[in-house]
Amino acid sequence: MSTKTETELPLRQRIAENPQPALVWAAVGAVLIGVELGAVLQVFGALAGVIVNLLPGDPGAATVASLQESLKSIPTLVSRDVIPNQGYWDGSQYVGTFLGLSPAAAWAVRFVLVYAYAFAVLAWLWDGYNRFRRHYRRVDWTPRDDVIDRFRGHSWGEFGLIITIMFVVMAVFAPAVGPTTMEKNILQPYDYEISYFDEETESVETALVGEANIGSGSQGAGDENVGPMSYDDFGRFHPFGTATNGKDLFTQVVFGARISLTIATLSIGIAGLIGLALAMITAYYKGLADMVVVLASDSIQSLPLIMVLILMLVIFQNTWVRELYDGAVLIILIFSLVYWPFIWRAIRGPAFQVSEQDWIDAAKSFGQTPGQVMRKHMAPYVFSYMLIYASLSLGGIIISVAGLSYLNLGITAPTPEWGRLIADGQQYVASPSWHISFIPGVLITLVVTGLNAFGDGIRDAIDPQADTGENETAAAGGGGA
Amino acid sequence: MSRWQYFMRRVLMSIPVVIFGTTITFALIRLGPLDPVSAILGTQYNPEAAEQIRTNLGLNQPLWSQYFDFMYRLFTFNLGQSWVIAPGTTAYELIQVYAPRTIWLGFWSVLIALFVGIPLGFYAGLNPNTPSDYFASFGGIVWRAMPNFWLAIMLVTALSQTGQWTNGFFTWQSWIVKTNVVTPPTLGFFVSPLESFMQNPGEWLNELVRATKQIAPAALVLGSASMGNEMRIGRTAVLETINSNYVETARAKGVSGRTLVWKHIFRNALIPLVPIITGEAFLLLGGSVFVETVFAINGLGWLFFNAAINGDLPLIGTLMYIFILILVGTNILQDFLYTIIDPRVGYEG
Repeated sequence: MSTKTETELPLRQRIAENPQPALVWAAVGAVLIGVELGAVLQVFGALAGVIVNLLPGDPGAATVASLQESLKSIPTLVSRDVIPNQGYWDGSQYVGTFLGLSPAAAWAVRFVLVYAYAFAVLAWLWDGYNRFRRHYRRVDWTPRDDVIDRFRGHSWGEFGLIITIMFVVMAVFAPAVGPTTMEKNILQPYDYEISYFDEETESVETALVGEANIGSGSQGAGDENVGPMSYDDFGRFHPFGTATNGKDLFTQVVFGARISLTIATLSIGIAGLIGLALAMITAYYKGLADMVVVLASDSIQSLPLIMVLILMLVIFQNTWVRELYDGAVLIILIFSLVYWPFIWRAIRGPAFQVSEQDWIDAAKSFGQTPGQVMRKHMAPYVFSYMLIYASLSLGGIIISVAGLSYLNLGITAPTPEWGRLIADGQQYVASPSWHISFIPGVLITLVVTGLNAFGDGIRDAIDPQADTGENETAAAGGGGA
Repeated sequence: MSRWQYFMRRVLMSIPVVIFGTTITFALIRLGPLDPVSAILGTQYNPEAAEQIRTNLGLNQPLWSQYFDFMYRLFTFNLGQSWVIAPGTTAYELIQVYAPRTIWLGFWSVLIALFVGIPLGFYAGLNPNTPSDYFASFGGIVWRAMPNFWLAIMLVTALSQTGQWTNGFFTWQSWIVKTNVVTPPTLGFFVSPLESFMQNPGEWLNELVRATKQIAPAALVLGSASMGNEMRIGRTAVLETINSNYVETARAKGVSGRTLVWKHIFRNALIPLVPIITGEAFLLLGGSVFVETVFAINGLGWLFFNAAINGDLPLIGTLMYIFILILVGTNILQDFLYTIIDPRVGYEG
C-alpha cells in the first residue's frame, strides 16, 4: 500500500506500543474462528486432497484421507451435527432433531445461525479495519477513506452489497444451509436410509432416500406435489419444495449458487487478468501492439456472444475438458476468452492516460524495466476501473450460464444449476408445482439486481464522475440470455 | 480529421474485423475436437459415406486451402448447404424461410423497447427523485435483471391462464383475433403485400394484427433487457442535459418550458442513446435463441441452436458469418448516426 521510510515504525512495533485494541480484536477473532475451526481445517484438508491427487503417484493419499476423516470429527458451530434437522416423529415427539424441535424449526435455527455467524465475521473484519484506521495507521487520511465514505452514503449500493453477501454466504456455507446434503439427497440417494413415521401403521419405518424421493416428487397434480415450506410423506422438510424427481429444491438451489458464483468470479477474474495485462502492454508500447489488440478485440466483440458460447460448448461436448466439474471449467475458460476484450476496452482509456504521466517517464529513466513500470506504476491506477467493470459484469455472466444450462448445454447433472432447475419445472409452471421454475428465476433476478446495484455503488464510490456508458450496460446484459 | 474521414476509417476498419471474426469461426469449426463428418453422420457412420462427405466438403484438402476456400465462398456469398437438419437445402433457402420471423420479432422488440423505455426514462429524468421516478427506475433495473428465458416461460404461463384467472372475462388467446400463445407468427401476408392489400384490405389488416399479436409476448420479453437499458441511459442523459449550461442559458433567455424540453433537452439526450439502440442487435441475436425456443418460433436463433446441437457445422459457419455481418453492419450504422447527430465526433482524434 505505501512504502516504508526509515523514521517510521513498522506495524508490529506500532501495535506493541498500544496493544489493547489489537488484542481485543484478536480475541474476538479467535472465538469466531475457533467455533468454526473444524470447517476451516476441513477446507485445508480438501485442498491437500486436491494437491495430492494432482501429484503423480498419489504420495500420502492415505494419510490425507485419514486426516480429512479426523478433521470431520471436530465439532463446529454451524454444522449439521450440532443442529441436526433430519429427525423423525415417533408418534409422540421428534427424535434426532435439535432440542426435539420440528425439522422445519431446527433447519430455520441453523439457517439463521449461519447468516448470523457470517455477518458477525464481516462485522469483525470491518471493526478490524476501523481499529487499524483509528489506532495504527500512520496517516489520518487516504483516498481510500473517501471511497469508503462515498460507498457508505450510497444506499442503493449498500442494498446491492447486502444481497451480494447473502448470495455469497449461501454459496460458501452451502453444505450447512441446506435441509439435507448433496451426498445423501442428490448424488447417492440409494446409499442412505431415513426413518419416518408411517401414518397407516402408526410406527416408525425406514426407507432408502432414493425411494422416499420417488414418493415425494412435484409433478403438478395435487398428490404429486411438495410445495415450498412443507413436509413430504416421509416427514422431511422442504423449504423450497421438491423438484420433479423428489430431490430437495433448496439443497439444489444453494449448491447452484455455489457453481454460479464460482463461474462468475473465476471467469471475470481470468478475463480481468488478460485484459489488464494487455492494457498495460498496449498502453506502454502503443503503435503496432495496440493495433493488433484492437483488431483482435473488435473481432471477438463482433461475434454474437451467446452463439459463440453455444458453438464452443457443442464443439467441446465429448472432450475431457467438458467433464471437469460438470462443464464448469470449460465454461470458465470460454467466458474468459470472450470477455477480456470488453474489460480491455473499458480500461484502455485510463491505461493510455496513465502511460502519458511524468512519473512513468521518471521511472523509465531510473532504469526500471517495462515489466516493473507496468506493475508498479501503471496497473494500480487502472485497477479500480477494472474493478468497476468486473463487478458490473458478474450479473450478466450468471444469467448467461443459467441460460446455457436451460438449453441443456451448460452445467450438466448431477451438479445443480439454476437454469437447469427452471428447465426441469417449465411444464409445471401452471400447476401446483410452479415453485420449481419460479423460485430459481426469482433468485436469479434478485441476485443479478443485487450484483448490478453493488457494481453501481462501487462505480460511484471509486469514480464519482463516471458516466453510465454503453460499455457497462452491455456488460450487465448477459448477451440476451 | 473531418467527420466523414473518421467515419470512412471506421468503415475500413470493419473489413479486417469481419475477416478475423470469420477466421475465428473457421478455426473453431475445423480445428476444434468435433469432427464435422462424424457429427453429420452421427450413429449411421460408415467409412464410404464418410469419405463421400469428406470429398464433398473438401476436407481432404490441406488446411490452408480449406481456409481460403471457406473464406472465398462466404465472401462471394456462396453460402453452402445444410447437412443435418435439412439435408440438401441450401443455406440461402433456409435463411429465406427462417429470417422473416426473426426480423418480425426483432422489429417489434426494438419498437417496444424504444417506445416504452425511452419515454419512461425521459419522464423519470424530467421528474428526478419523485416516487414515480423511483418506481420507474427500480422497475427498469429489476426488469433488466430478469433472465429472458425465465421471463418468457412465466409470460407464456400467465397468458395461457388469463382465461381462468379472470373467470373468462379476458382471454388472451381469443382477444381481438384467435391465436395460440406459443406459436410462430404467420407471415404469409407479407408475400406481395401490395397486391393482397388491394384485393382484400380487411383480410390483410386482420392478418397483420394476428401476426403482431402472435409476436407481441415474445417481443416484449426480447425487448425487456434493452428497454431497461434505454430507460436507465435516457434518465441519466436527461438529468445531465437539464443541468448543463446551455439549458440554463436557454431558460434565462425565456425559452418556454415545452420548447426547452423538446428542442434543447430531448435532442441532446438522444445522443448517448444511440449506442444503446444499435447495441440492441447483440441482445436481439443472442436473446432470439432463448425466446424463440420458449415461444416455438422457428426463426434464425432457433435454426442456429438446432444446427449447433445437431452438429450441422457447415450451416453453423454460414450462419455465424451472417450474424457477424449483421453486427458489424449495426456498428457501422452506429458510427453513421453518430456522425450525423453529434457534431463533436472526430474532432478529438
